[in-house]
Amino acid sequence: MTEAVLICDDSALARKQLQKQLPAQLATNVEFAKDGLDALTRMRNHKFKVVFLDLTMPEMDGVAVLQHNQKEALCDKIIVVSADIQPAMQDKVHQLGALAFVKKPISNDHLVDILKEHGIHD
Amino acid sequence: MIDLSLTEDQRDCLQELVNVAMGRASDKLARFLQTFVHLRVPAIELISAQVLPQSFAEAYADQGVSMVSQGFYGERGVRGESILFYRSHDAQGIARILGYEPEEATEVEQLTDISSILTTTFLSGLAEQIDNHIGYSAPRVVTSDDTSIEKHLQQLSFTWELALKVDISYQVTDYAFHCDMVLLIPGEAIHSFQQALDNILNEI
Repeated sequence: MTEAVLICDDSALARKQLQKQLPAQLATNVEFAKDGLDALTRMRNHKFKVVFLDLTMPEMDGVAVLQHNQKEALCDKIIVVSADIQPAMQDKVHQLGALAFVKKPISNDHLVDILKEHGIHD
Repeated sequence: MIDLSLTEDQRDCLQELVNVAMGRASDKLARFLQTFVHLRVPAIELISAQVLPQSFAEAYADQGVSMVSQGFYGERGVRGESILFYRSHDAQGIARILGYEPEEATEVEQLTDISSILTTTFLSGLAEQIDNHIGYSAPRVVTSDDTSIEKHLQQLSFTWELALKVDISYQVTDYAFHCDMVLLIPGEAIHSFQQALDNILNEI
């Protein structure tokens, strides 16, 4: 059985847009989380192939999810997808173990390149 | 009759476009200030422009307020007036945030500098996502007592029918400042917005 992909974003539009941009193999097995707390609960219960994580969210933000993930070693492939594109924020999420930083709005080519680069998609 | 309301999907879509546009504005501000800007999810609300003067006069009744007003002109009926509201307390702190020496720039110049970064980066980011281009008129600063703010808003609300309120809170590393951004737009602009949102929603 293939592992699912988790898409965490408080915007329904952003969740759907991201799913649509995923390569077909990955797009068929997707779970959604609507905020960081929701994502963390799911990550504790399942092993995901990759987690796409928004930063600016209610309840729990993406940075807090990364901090918990670092402590609990839940998923080693987290890709941050965010509108908060400040260089300091990009550095911070990398320090917290994020694999890559994707700026919103997402470009399809860029996303596929990143997935290939990290061996998530061939 | 203008339909003021957005569907739940349109609202979610607009919120996401606003988030992306706000992210750009924060990034620009952070580079300008050479600091980190902590970003919160901006609350958006679409209201009738008629209720705006009273609602803002009430919200800012306890203290002085400074307003920076700037017109914008896009394609397909997208046009309007962007207003940023600062509490006097926050306006005074802007010089510190900007790192200006006391005699280096007047409060009006400081407000104009920070407002044009926020307004133009935000609106250009929003326009780009709905395939539009926007031009701007020169910003005007209105700093005075509450009565004249209400009067100024009343004049504006005669011209424009709708107001998109965007509550912005910026926390700059060791200094917090809050401002409200209001986009006043005519009825045909909201139709253009709704159309643009539907186009995005139909694509996914």
